This record gives sequence, structure tokens and C-alpha cells, in this order.
Amino acid sequence: MRVLVGLFSLAFLFQAAGGALAEPNPPRIADVSGSIQGSKASVRFTLRNAFSPEMVEALKSGIEITFKTTVRVERVYRGWFNQTMGEVRYTRSVRYDALSRVYRLHRDDGDELLPDVRTALERMTRFEITVLVSGDVERGKPYRALVRTRLDKVGLSEPLRSIVFFSSLWDVETDWARGTLATP
Amino acid sequence: MSPDTAEQIQPRAEEERAKRRRERWAIGVVAVLVVALTVIEANLATIGGAVAFTSNIVIFALINLNVVLVVLLIFLVTRNVFKILLDRRRNILGAKIRSRLALIFISFSLIPTILLFIVATNITTTSIKSWIGGRVGQALTGALKVAQGRLEAEALALKPLAASASARLDKATDARTRAEVLRSARSAGPPGAAVLLFRKGKEIARVGEIPAVVVTEILSGIKGMAGRASAPGTLFGEEYAAAWSPASGGVVVVAVRVLPPAESARIRDIKKAYEEYHQVRLLDDPIRASYIGVLVLITLLIVFAASWMGIYLARQITVPVQLLAEGTQKVARGDLDVSLDYLSDDEFGTLVASFNRMTGDLKAMKGSLEAANVSLTHTYEELRRRTQFIETILDNISTGVIVIDRHGRISMINKVAERLLGIPTDGALGRMYREVVEEEHYEAIRGIYREAGEAAGGQVERQVELRVRGKRVAFRVSLTALHDDAGEYMGLVAAFDDLSQAMRLQRVLAWREVARRIAHDIRNPLTPIQLSTERMQRRYAAEHADDPAFAECTQAILSEVATLKHLVEEFNRFARMPAPKLSEGDLAEEVRPVVETFRASHPGIEWEFHLGDMPRVWFDPFQVRRAVTNLLENAAFALGGRGRVSVTCAHDPSRGTVRIVVADDGPGVRPEDRDRLFEPYFSRREGGTGLGLAIVSAIASDHGGSARMRDNAPRGAVFEMEFPAKPEGKG
Repeated sequence: MRVLVGLFSLAFLFQAAGGALAEPNPPRIADVSGSIQGSKASVRFTLRNAFSPEMVEALKSGIEITFKTTVRVERVYRGWFNQTMGEVRYTRSVRYDALSRVYRLHRDDGDELLPDVRTALERMTRFEITVLVSGDVERGKPYRALVRTRLDKVGLSEPLRSIVFFSSLWDVETDWARGTLATP
Repeated sequence: MSPDTAEQIQPRAEEERAKRRRERWAIGVVAVLVVALTVIEANLATIGGAVAFTSNIVIFALINLNVVLVVLLIFLVTRNVFKILLDRRRNILGAKIRSRLALIFISFSLIPTILLFIVATNITTTSIKSWIGGRVGQALTGALKVAQGRLEAEALALKPLAASASARLDKATDARTRAEVLRSARSAGPPGAAVLLFRKGKEIARVGEIPAVVVTEILSGIKGMAGRASAPGTLFGEEYAAAWSPASGGVVVVAVRVLPPAESARIRDIKKAYEEYHQVRLLDDPIRASYIGVLVLITLLIVFAASWMGIYLARQITVPVQLLAEGTQKVARGDLDVSLDYLSDDEFGTLVASFNRMTGDLKAMKGSLEAANVSLTHTYEELRRRTQFIETILDNISTGVIVIDRHGRISMINKVAERLLGIPTDGALGRMYREVVEEEHYEAIRGIYREAGEAAGGQVERQVELRVRGKRVAFRVSLTALHDDAGEYMGLVAAFDDLSQAMRLQRVLAWREVARRIAHDIRNPLTPIQLSTERMQRRYAAEHADDPAFAECTQAILSEVATLKHLVEEFNRFARMPAPKLSEGDLAEEVRPVVETFRASHPGIEWEFHLGDMPRVWFDPFQVRRAVTNLLENAAFALGGRGRVSVTCAHDPSRGTVRIVVADDGPGVRPEDRDRLFEPYFSRREGGTGLGLAIVSAIASDHGGSARMRDNAPRGAVFEMEFPAKPEGKG
């Protein structure tokens, strides 16, 4: 039993180390900003380095790319005793329609057909999300937003998914990015 | 169980250490393999392509589980292979055939599996390459363009309708008029077309049937292409073709035609095939790697499963063989309680069952043989006892017996026969009797045998005189032919009785009679002769005083009469020798005083007296003393006053006799005198009566024994008197 556990651990460690070394320019969340007022917080941010050339190529091949983003709003206290005031999980995906030659951007609030890849990528990486918060928002107090995004799934077609059963093609996941929220 | 000794523990510890060492090696190899496989796994996608690799835990767990299972399989198989090799090196029974069978099984599985793997890999690679790089892509792209052309044409056909409706809508002021305009425009347009009105992303009017999905799709399109919505345009999807045209007031007129479902399905299939094709192109290397990975896993699985199966089958075959070999060894060592514990309905099961049956039969047979052996042993012991009894009898009787088989070989001979006939004691048994006995004896026996052949009952008895060791000996020979129950001749039994002693006894008896008669006839006139001569001397001595002849003659008469009287007295004593009065006593106590008397009277002679382990003996003390006295007198006379005389009293338990042996180192006995030594009135001694040894012989005979003489070494003579220590009927 100990031998089995050891083998598993060794394999995972090796994989983790390999993964870390494999990406020289990892995806990240930038320009986190926004404001909080009343029961809402508006958070803006940009996802950088999310699309590698290979991913763009895959996108053009009809593979659906979906990002799942988590936005958390916190009241900042001293030490680590921050208070989470609200959190939202937001999904955005894009897929190229080879027939109609448009990019279908899917958001929680509806779809959008985009005529070119540039627009599609821009829409996929620029976010402005509203988070409902609980508790009173006090003016002048520190609030911050934490954002993390990861590639949820790669929409391979069914036959290919059964062939490449052990692969979901990409490993995109950002660290938590933080930004201060203004209290107007 | 008995506690282990240090000699047992030492090799066991060595074995344990070796086992641990092997295990460490095995674990190390497995670990390296796991790491290597993980590296390959992690780089599987990047080996051939630039696509990154995910860290999906579930997938990796599954992959690693597979790998671990394969590794475990490898470990187990390797361990078994090593075990087989070690067993083979240790010359463990069955290891060679097991390793051979395992090698054959593994080879038969390994070679085709590897060949299959290579072929499958090549076919897979070639197929993927031909699929991706061939004309499939061109065909799919063409098909998609055809579909696009079809939809574009449809959308362009709707464009005038949208433009017309847009132009006329500018003049419509209310909803009723707009609806009229739309209906009019639709009726002028292509059949099946529908017209929609949108304003600010919302539908405000519709003429014709349009699925909601299509409406939503058109709205998404107009929304995404907001910048282009200010100018007329077209839009199409799998199920529809549309054209829009902006109107006043932010209104957008959309003319839509929904395609028939069958056509939509065909276009959807074309689109799907096109997208999959491009995905396959993108995933060329990962797909190939996936196939190869799966093939590798399957190949490994097959190879090691086949190896495992091979080892298992080899063990299945060799286990009963090993059991049989061990069982056979045990049987060879004499352990017939072996019962092999192996149950199977195959041929090995039958073989093992037969073996168990065979050992059972062997055990039963062994039991029977042992019983027969015990019976035979008893029979043999009985026979041996009887034979020994017969041999003892034959060795202790005075008759020499020779048994000759039908081929003329001596099958039995007793010591008496050897002694009587002078046959060498060694090597007579089993030899032809013609080679063993002297020519004269052979001829005599043959003559008697011829007579026996002619005689009724095959038995004949003759008295012959043969020369043994240069001396004529009288024998009574009795030959009896032996026949089996069927009357077949089996051989003959020859019995030899030495008649010398009997004849000597007869002569002694005859001499006793003669002596009695002489004593009687001579003694009677001697007294008158003596008295008359003495009277003559008294009466006529004075008258013939001057004549010396008278005195000399009478004196001579008296002297000779005295001599005759002495002679007569001796004869009389010999003739009237009484029967011995046997009493149990100490023989040495009777012999020793006689020797001491002679030691005193003959100081020039060295007298020795030897006494062995002597029991109490039945004898007549007076007669024995007389016999010993006679023997010592003869010895002293023979030595002439100088020499050495040895007197020995000995007991022969095997024969049950005692012997009085008198040996001197005098001149010995001349050969020609030996036959007559014990006869009365035979003497070489001047003045001797010749009765001394005759009396010794008579006393020995009266005691149931005998007296004999032999040469002493290096010189002299040995006289021996032998008689039973305890005659029959005594004690």
C-alpha cells in the first residue's frame, strides 16, 4: 500500500513540476478595479495571455473555449481576518461557426455573434462584472476584489473526446488577482 | 517441531537477506519504470505537437492507476521469472521444465504481440496521416463552401425583400400600416420567407412562421454586428438564411427563410465533419500518441498477462510433475506411504491418481513380500538349525560321512570324514570328489558304488582297507544311493567307519582270552616245578656239591619259573582286568601324584604338568592311575633318564571329552611299529611284557574312549588317552 501511495505521489509531483516549468508566460488577471456602493460592486479586469497561438488556432478549428471566472468581494481588515461580502462565478465561452463564419460569444446574459477573431478575443478577455454584496458598505473603508479565471473545458467533439480521453488540451488557470474597490 | 540449530538458522538468514536484496532491486526497478512512464506520459502530447497538457487529476489518476497496475503486473511477472531462474540455479526439482515451458509460452505470446503492436502502430499512423493530409480536407472544405454558397444565395435572394420592406416602412406610421407593409412585402418575396422587425434588440413585428431559436440567433447576430446593422447585410445559419435592412427609427427589417429540416440536417453534418476534421488536424500528434499509448498499454497488458499465464500454465504442468518426481524419489528411498495431494480431471490428475494407486499396490506387495520374507526367514532359520543340528551330529559321530550329488560333487562332508580319509579341510565342499580323494580311495568308492548301483535298494556295505597318511586303515564303507520321490538319482551318501579301534579291541579281547588260558595252563605246573626244584636242591645239593652244574641248573629252573610266574601274573592281570568303577572326581588329583612320583624317581627328566579348565569327570581312579603310570613308564624308558616329559589334562567342551596327553622328546616310535603299539605282547623293550599300552588302550576303551599315538614335534612321541567326561546315564 505504501508503495502504491509513493508511486502516485511521485507521479503527481513530477507532473506538477513539469507543468510549472512548461509555461514561461502564464495567463494572468490584470487591471482589477471597480467600485462598491450600496448592495452592488462593479468589478473590471482584463485577462492577459489567456490565448496562445495554438488556442487561437484551435478556436478557428471550431473548438469551444470556455473561461470560468470567480470574482470575490471582500472587506479588508487587519491581519487575515477579511470578510467576504459577495462572490460570483461567471462563465464566458466562444466558438467559431465555420458555416456562418462568425464567432459565437456566450455569456450568462445572452449570446453574441461576432464577425472576427480579434473582436471575439477582446470580448473574451475584458470583463466588467457586477457582484451583489451583503452587509453595509461604509464609505472610505478598504474593499477589494479578488479574481481568478481558469479554462473550464475544451469542447472537443464527442468522437475526439473519446479518443483523446486523457487530454483536455490546455491548462489555463490564473492566480488570484486583487484590486481595490472604490467607495464613491 | 524441534528448535532450529545454529547450522539451520545461518543459511535461513542468508536466504532472507538475499530475498530482501532482490525485493529492493525489484522495487527500485519498478520506481524507475514508474518515473520513466510518467515522464513519457507528461510529454506524450508535447512530443509531437505544441499543444499543452492538462493536469486533470481524475484522468491522471486513471492513467497512473493503469500504469501502476501494469507495473505491478511487471513486478509480479518479473518476480516469478526470477523465482524460476533461481529455482533452476538451485536445481530444484521441476524448475528446468518450468522455466522451459514458461520461456516457450512467453516467446509464443511475445513475438506475435510485438509484431502486432508494430503493425498496428504503423497502420494507425499511416491512417491518421492519410486521413488528415489527403483529399478528405479538400472535400470537406468544398462541401462547406457549397453549403455557404447555398445559404448566401438564399440570403441574397431575401435582400430585395428586406430592402423593399424597409423603404416602405419609412412611410408607415402605425402598427397596422407596418403589418400591412410587411405582409405585402412578404407576398412579393420568395416563397416561405418571413419578415421580422427589430428595434433596440427586440422584436416588434413578425409576418410568417419562424422558430424561436432562429429568432434568437438572428437577434444575437444583429447584436454582435451592431456596427454593421446600419447598412443592409445578410446572415445565415444551419437552419436559416436572412437579410436585413435598416429602416428609420432604429428599426431593422429582417427577411428570413427557414430551410427545410432535411437540408438543415445535411448542412449541419457538413459543418460538423468540417470542424472535426480541423480538430483532428490540430490534434494530429496527441491523437496518434493516444492511439500508440493505448496500444502500448494493451501490448504490455497482453505481454505480461500472457507471460503470467505462461508461468501459471507452466506451474500447472510442472506442479504435478514436481509432485510426481518428489514422490518417486520418496518411493525410491523406500517410503511407500507417499500419497500425492493433487486433484484434477485432466491427464495429470489421472497420472497422479495412478501413481497413488501404484504406491498403494507397491505397499501392499511390499507387505506381502515382507510377510513372505519373514516366513522364508523362519523356514531358512529352521533349515539352518536343522542343518546345523545335522552337521553337529555328523561332526560328533565317529563315522565319516560324505554326500555326493548327482554330478559327482561333494555337497557335504564332515570333519571325521576329512580326518579319516586325510582330505584337506579347505575347499573340499563343492568340488568333484574324484579330485578331492586319493586315487586309491576313489577306485574303492567307485567299486562299491557300482555294487550299490546293482544292489537292491541302492545300499551296499563293504569293509575295505585303505592307506591313509601312509598307514593302512580298515574301514567299513556304507554307500547309499539317494533318489527323489520320482525315483530320479540325486547322489549318494558314503559313510566311513574306522575299524582299527574295533579290530584292536577284538584283538585285545582275544589276547585276554589267550592270556587267561596261558595263565591258567602255565601257572598250574609252575608251582610243582618250583617246589620240586627246591626239593631237589635241598636233597641233592650236598651230593652234587662238587658239581656246579647241578646248582646252576636248579637255580636256572627256579629263576625261569619265577620269570614265568611274573609273566603269568601279568597275563592274568591283563586277562582279568575288571570293568571300570566310574565315579565323579577330579582327574588332575589322580594324575598329579603319579607325575610327582615319576619326578622323584627320575630326577634326570624334566617333568611338566599342565592343567586346563577341567570339570569334574567320571572315571575309575585306579585304572586311570594305572594307565598314566604305564604311559609315564614308557616315556621314561624312551628318554633313558634325560629329556622332558609333558603331561596335560585337558577338556574339550565341544566333544564332551577329557584328554590325558603324555608327550616326550625321546626318539619316537618307528613307523612299522605304530600299528601294533597297542597290541598285547608287543614290545621293543628288553624284558617288557608288551602289555603296558595294551592295558592303556583297554582302560580307555572301557571308559568309552580310545588311546592313540602321534609324533611329537620336533621329536618324540605323544600318547593320548581320551574318554567322555560324563558317560551317558551318569549325572
